[in-house]
Amino acid sequence: MSIREKLLDLKRRLSDRKMYSIVIVAIAAVAMWGFYQYKHAADLRQELDNQYNRAFYDMVGYVNNVEVLLIKSLIANTPEKTAATMQEAWRQANLAQTNLGQLPVSPNVLANTSKFLTQVGDLAYSLNNQNMGGKGLNEEQYKLIEQLHGFSVSLEQSLIDLQNQITTGRIKWGDLANKGTRLFQKTSENMPNAQFENIEKTFQEYPTLIYDGPFSDHMTQTEPKGLAGEDMDVEQAKQRVMEFFGPDKVKAVEEIGRVDEGNIKTYSYSVKFNNVPEDQTATVDVTQKGGNVLWMLYNRPVGAQEQINVDQAKALGKKFLEEHGYKDMVDTYYLKEDNTAIINYAYKQGDVTVYPDLIKVKIALDNGEIVGFESKGYITNHTQRNIPQPKITMEQARALITPRMNVLSSGLAIIPTDYKTEIFTYEFKGKLNDRDFLVYINAENGKEENILLIMDTPNGILTM
Amino acid sequence: MKTVKRIIILVVIFSVSIPLFLKGSVFIAPITGKLAPDMEGDDVRKMQQRLKNWNYYDGEISGKYDLKTYFAVRDFQKTYNLPVSGIANEDTLTAMGLTTLAKWGEVYAQSNQTSNEQLLARAIYGEARGEPYEGQVAVGAVILNRTRDPKFPKTVAGVIYQPGAFTAVSDGQINVPIDPNSTVVKAARDALNGWDPTNGCLYYWNPATATSKWIWSRQIVKKIGKHYFGK
Repeated sequence: MSIREKLLDLKRRLSDRKMYSIVIVAIAAVAMWGFYQYKHAADLRQELDNQYNRAFYDMVGYVNNVEVLLIKSLIANTPEKTAATMQEAWRQANLAQTNLGQLPVSPNVLANTSKFLTQVGDLAYSLNNQNMGGKGLNEEQYKLIEQLHGFSVSLEQSLIDLQNQITTGRIKWGDLANKGTRLFQKTSENMPNAQFENIEKTFQEYPTLIYDGPFSDHMTQTEPKGLAGEDMDVEQAKQRVMEFFGPDKVKAVEEIGRVDEGNIKTYSYSVKFNNVPEDQTATVDVTQKGGNVLWMLYNRPVGAQEQINVDQAKALGKKFLEEHGYKDMVDTYYLKEDNTAIINYAYKQGDVTVYPDLIKVKIALDNGEIVGFESKGYITNHTQRNIPQPKITMEQARALITPRMNVLSSGLAIIPTDYKTEIFTYEFKGKLNDRDFLVYINAENGKEENILLIMDTPNGILTM
Repeated sequence: MKTVKRIIILVVIFSVSIPLFLKGSVFIAPITGKLAPDMEGDDVRKMQQRLKNWNYYDGEISGKYDLKTYFAVRDFQKTYNLPVSGIANEDTLTAMGLTTLAKWGEVYAQSNQTSNEQLLARAIYGEARGEPYEGQVAVGAVILNRTRDPKFPKTVAGVIYQPGAFTAVSDGQINVPIDPNSTVVKAARDALNGWDPTNGCLYYWNPATATSKWIWSRQIVKKIGKHYFGK
């Protein structure tokens, strides 16, 4: 039957009355289904729109609060009042940042706005700590707050502009978020991001902030202290890779790239081993200065049988470190995963454990082979320190700890802070309610610097 | 008849209310860290009782983790596809239903660790499953580096679910469950444990498919597999 005949046949059948009604019913059903789907999609979209609106309006509110709190802190006259204001500013800035992250605007468009909010919060937090210690703000800090207040005012204004456009319906979040419809893609790509770019322009002159907080700008600018020795070329550093694994084990070392940017410049190598399938390679980054291994990962399947236990692994790791020139390292914590043990080693200078000088060694428990190595902490921080005599005695420090904790052991330790400085402390290990704690008391002034909870899980010891 | 009905109603109410508990501040956790041979006590007794009820164990309920208990635990682990060790670890205890409702803080460290691990593994799977191992660790490291940078949210979930940040999130690949033995899980763990092949990078892109002009304004630090990594 040809197509023409088929069509004629269909026409003939359609002209039958009964057939007509069936077709109409079918079409109606499809239409209803389609309408329902459309409605459903519209509902979901509306819901999403509402969420975006909520995040946006919330954010405007929080930014407004930050602005008000910053100006208030300039007026507050006692450290206690300033601390309270700063604490609230910290909270509000965090909330603003969280809501900002939920807007359907591509992250790079609002990167500096996000940075501003994070740094305001971070600065407020560190000033809060300072004020709680009874120390008021100094002239420089007042100036900084004034400057930040200026930025928050402009941010607020741009946000209110945007808010007006949204309330009058000139911008729809749906257009921003909806990438599915081809038709609108062109316009949506440019239009709303442009609106947000206006906000971003506020921060073009944004100053570099330096203060004692983890998000301060000086964090990224620290020079590694633990890098010593001559600059090496690719071949010399390759030799170091051979020595790292042992020349008898290595089949071939291939250079696969280099990093010439940043604080730690490196060469990268891929390593093949004797008597091992070709695709099981290790990757190593070696510092250009001094030829130290920055990190190594050897991704091989690790057998399920545990041939050596964690204590043996700890000893193997220590031996490995000593053979490669890392003297006086002591193991501190470990974690067991996939039949490997990741062991943390810290440098010990005299009787002081120096936690910032950290090396992690990953050991396969099926044969004791080193399958991972990470020394960024050591390379960044290691140096021979001038450790002073503690100003308070062990007994005095101990008296400062809550009597409810049962102290089991104690020692001296240098611990890192969030903002890359170090504190000289007494370390007390103890028990309270059957949980293990570490308490750090400043050896210079007796301040309780940090409290860590030790999680003794089946997989290892974690601290929190 | 009435009492049976009552019991049924109670059971139903109880089982319905457990998920409600979970939503709040309470979690299901094993009654103890682990039970191993030569241990004694109430927890061992409870376990023996269960194993006996289910015909894995035919000794007496002594509260002593002896050889018979050891083999019973092994049999149980075999049946439920758990690693066969004869030691009742947390997973085994949970599978036996020997659990308790723990407060949020007590299991926080672990649950936080595992949830970040899963989330990170899924993101790595969606973004870099065809890449060499260190390329997978690198993608995980970029996500973690972002949590420490002021320009980005401060949590792993915040960074991963940031609208438009990762294509694997936009198209829903992030919700595909991951086999716990897959290499992406290992890569996620290495990244969480501090290995960073990118040396602090915040961005990566595939030069063959990247459509954004902006991304090319980033400084290229390193190339691993098909991806460029930059700051």
